[in-house]
Amino acid sequence: MAVNAARDLPKAAAAAAIVALAFLPMAKMPAFYESFIYLIFFWVSLSTSWALLSGFAGYFSLGHAAFFGVGVYTTAALTTKFGVPFLITVPIAAALAALLAAGIGAVVFRLRRLRGELFALLTLAVTFVIATIILNTPIDGGGGVFMSAVPLPDLMPTQTGTIYILGFAMCVLTIATAWWVAHARLGLGLFAIHDDEDVAEAKGVPTFRYKIAAFALSAGIAGAVGGIHAMYVGFITVAGTFELTVGLYVVLMSVLGGARHWLGPAIGATAITALLYAFISGGEAIMGRAIVGLILIAAILWLPDGVIPAIQAWLKRRRAAPVATRAEVVPVVPTTAPQISERSILQVRGVTKRFGGLQALAGVDLDVHEGEIFGLVGPNGSGKTTLINVISGFYPLTSGAITLDGAEIGRDPAHEIARRGVARTYQIPRPFANMTVLDNVALCATFGGPRRSKAEMRDEALHWIGFTGLGGKEEVLPAGLNLHERKFLELARALAARPKLLLLDEVLSGLNPAEIDNAIRLVRAIRAQGATIVFVEHLMRAVVELSDRVAVLNEGKLFALGKPREVMRDPRVVSIYLGKAYAA
Amino acid sequence: MNHRMGAWRRRHVLGGFVGLAALGAPAILRAAPSGQPVKVGGTLSLTGFLAQTAVIHKIGAEIMVEDINSRNGFLGRPVEYIMLDDQSKPDVARSLYEKLITVDKVDLIMGPYATAPILAAMGVAQRYGKVMIQSSMGIPKLQTYDMAFPATPFGSEPDKTYPNVLLDCMATLPAPPKTMVIVTSKFPSAQFMAQGMRTEAEKRGVKVPLYLEYEAGNRDFGAIAARVKEANADFLWVGSLGLESNQILESLRKLDYTPKTSFHLYPAPGPLALSPDGNLVWSSTFLEPDEPFMSRPGMKKIAELYKERATKANLPYAIIDAQAAGMVAAWQILEAGVNGAKSLEDKQIAAWLKKNVVTTVYGPTKFDGLYNHGEPAQLIRQVQDKQWKVIWPKQFVAPGVKLIAT
Repeated sequence: MAVNAARDLPKAAAAAAIVALAFLPMAKMPAFYESFIYLIFFWVSLSTSWALLSGFAGYFSLGHAAFFGVGVYTTAALTTKFGVPFLITVPIAAALAALLAAGIGAVVFRLRRLRGELFALLTLAVTFVIATIILNTPIDGGGGVFMSAVPLPDLMPTQTGTIYILGFAMCVLTIATAWWVAHARLGLGLFAIHDDEDVAEAKGVPTFRYKIAAFALSAGIAGAVGGIHAMYVGFITVAGTFELTVGLYVVLMSVLGGARHWLGPAIGATAITALLYAFISGGEAIMGRAIVGLILIAAILWLPDGVIPAIQAWLKRRRAAPVATRAEVVPVVPTTAPQISERSILQVRGVTKRFGGLQALAGVDLDVHEGEIFGLVGPNGSGKTTLINVISGFYPLTSGAITLDGAEIGRDPAHEIARRGVARTYQIPRPFANMTVLDNVALCATFGGPRRSKAEMRDEALHWIGFTGLGGKEEVLPAGLNLHERKFLELARALAARPKLLLLDEVLSGLNPAEIDNAIRLVRAIRAQGATIVFVEHLMRAVVELSDRVAVLNEGKLFALGKPREVMRDPRVVSIYLGKAYAA
Repeated sequence: MNHRMGAWRRRHVLGGFVGLAALGAPAILRAAPSGQPVKVGGTLSLTGFLAQTAVIHKIGAEIMVEDINSRNGFLGRPVEYIMLDDQSKPDVARSLYEKLITVDKVDLIMGPYATAPILAAMGVAQRYGKVMIQSSMGIPKLQTYDMAFPATPFGSEPDKTYPNVLLDCMATLPAPPKTMVIVTSKFPSAQFMAQGMRTEAEKRGVKVPLYLEYEAGNRDFGAIAARVKEANADFLWVGSLGLESNQILESLRKLDYTPKTSFHLYPAPGPLALSPDGNLVWSSTFLEPDEPFMSRPGMKKIAELYKERATKANLPYAIIDAQAAGMVAAWQILEAGVNGAKSLEDKQIAAWLKKNVVTTVYGPTKFDGLYNHGEPAQLIRQVQDKQWKVIWPKQFVAPGVKLIAT
């Protein structure tokens, strides 16, 4: 009861704060306070909207002013040139900004090379292009737009009160949206994109769609905020609207508060706006700005992830890990012989893959039977990992066909293939660095497997964490795991998707003999769960012990196929790969 | 010894009386203001991209507040100037004027610097019925508030009147220009004047073969310079701000081209006057530290004080010009309004200003025209021996100064 009350307290406080802020204009306080709080709302909304794409998904934008500016000028142009009532222009401003972002995203997000700093520069360029268009067309033309004649609806007793309430509504809506996104599948997917987009796609996250959704949402909010702000400023100029500092401020505010947290940008925006107003007196202005700069530098140096993550980490250190999250499952290796069907679950036909002039796969044909462990070996550069990448959709096929359970998957995007039941691990573990072990596994259960409730996903994740021996590490970040544990986390993530086909890429490399024995037992136990396994491995002991059949690749072609011991004794295989016979 | 001691005592006692008299006399002579200060609030862009120019306004304001307080203050009460930093942002300017009026409860307000903050502040002044005097809004038609007054004599339609002042001046040249190239920043007040210049030039038969606009803040004028050279007009009109004129002239020099005669709207006065490229160029002004302006009441003292403080503040150009003079004039108008209306009530001050003539550093100023503007008094100056000299209209040209044709 007391625990419930403690949990409900922040919610009750938030609700009380919202109600109090909503009725503030009725208190008839000096207009300055309404204006000042409005400016906080303004920056909170703008920085939070920036974080929806840039903070959550890691697509760092320096061009948020472009979407804000589209909103400003939509309202300015519609109200002054066409007489459209102000309130109607705000959703139009949001829609136009969202449409622009979706259009840009539809082109940019298809290109893998436009990530990181290139995306930041591209968004900056978009700002200049939009500003130039507005400056050189009748939308502005250079003279600015004066909005003093535009009537403001009487939502509150005063004009300042009306602007305040609009800013407040926008702020509440923005934070609610950020909260919803952060707690929805969309947010989980965006966080995964932030950490490793290729892996996210391979785990079933529809990255392209999610990025466009986040970009449009982010820009749409900025557009609406711009529409309202146009009325606040009153005289709109291109230089003032599209100035670089708008984009930089939102970045600074979000980073200070914590760009990955739904409330982080709001905290940063409130702190920075308040700080900027702390030194407004003419005598101390320049010194004040220097002090604000120093405070921000210190905050970013001491709290690189932002204020909210720092508080969360501090609270976490104070709390012991809750017992309920400790997963305890013992993998059971069956004593009976495995059931291998004659039916092919995976068919690879004439698969080729070219990288420019390099032929990595040159017409590979394979059949993997349901329930078997299928070893894939070959010398370095023979095409093993490329084949795994092609089957999982990471690389598009050059030619050929791949079917899973009779369905063609060769040209599907990676996340579709994952949803059809293909899961994979990486030779070098690629966990989502900013997610705990539990979140890493839960994400894969969410996007890779069938739709289930949040609680079921969590249980599923806990099951596989226990199964792979990571019980007790649920709340640990991947950086806190050793290589052995990270390899097993890879396995847990793959298993959480309940795959039909599991692709293991050198899961044993780098492990010591005891860890290898442990891993071999685990792979057998996984097969016992009903999964079919294709595994790439250099460690011949494991290949022979585990595989039902082995395929040898050489120079991108299938070189040999058969029972492990027979294949390993094949002199041709020995000559190209092993150098000597494995078993006498 | 005693005699000497007596003489010593007498000298010191006498000296003490003289000292007391000296301390007391100014207070009596000045009728020093006393009582509750009259609070006048305003913002200036002390930080942000407008800060370089706003500091000139700050010095002008500080000189005037001291000057007013050294006389009678406002209605016998000392003036307290509450100056806040609007960070060069109109939205901040708006909120700070609301603070000044609704929280600090100032008696009067003084306008900020630059068009966008002025318009943001004007909305607030209008909502609270405050008189607002501003010194730097170059587009008078935007001043739609009935109790807003301009301190700088642009006139109500400078886009029509000032181009004709320039065309009149051009007509006095031995070979009056027949063609004019216009290059302008898209900064609202510069673009506004450039468009007016084109219209008025064509009306008076001066052809404009090339009209170019560039974005405010542009730094690369190579392409523009090439087109200016190609057009090779008799006259180059540049709607520049700050250092843009220097940059344009430098770009032209790199192409081995010197315009026959060039005019620059709002350049940085020091750098342009001191640059070899700036020799004999024309520009706009409202006054220069020369005759007949220095004979205006108080001007000499203000110019000296400005030079002293601007030098102390390490400003690159420590000579009073239209920017500082605009702020000085704004305070002179406010002082005249308060004293004339004998009231701190905004409506009464506004009513008095509309009916009367105020003498400022710009000369007799009226507010009875469109947008509360009076007669325009924008002049033309030329760089001569690295100094700005007014060359037109004739009545404002100092003795011994004349237009030097190029």
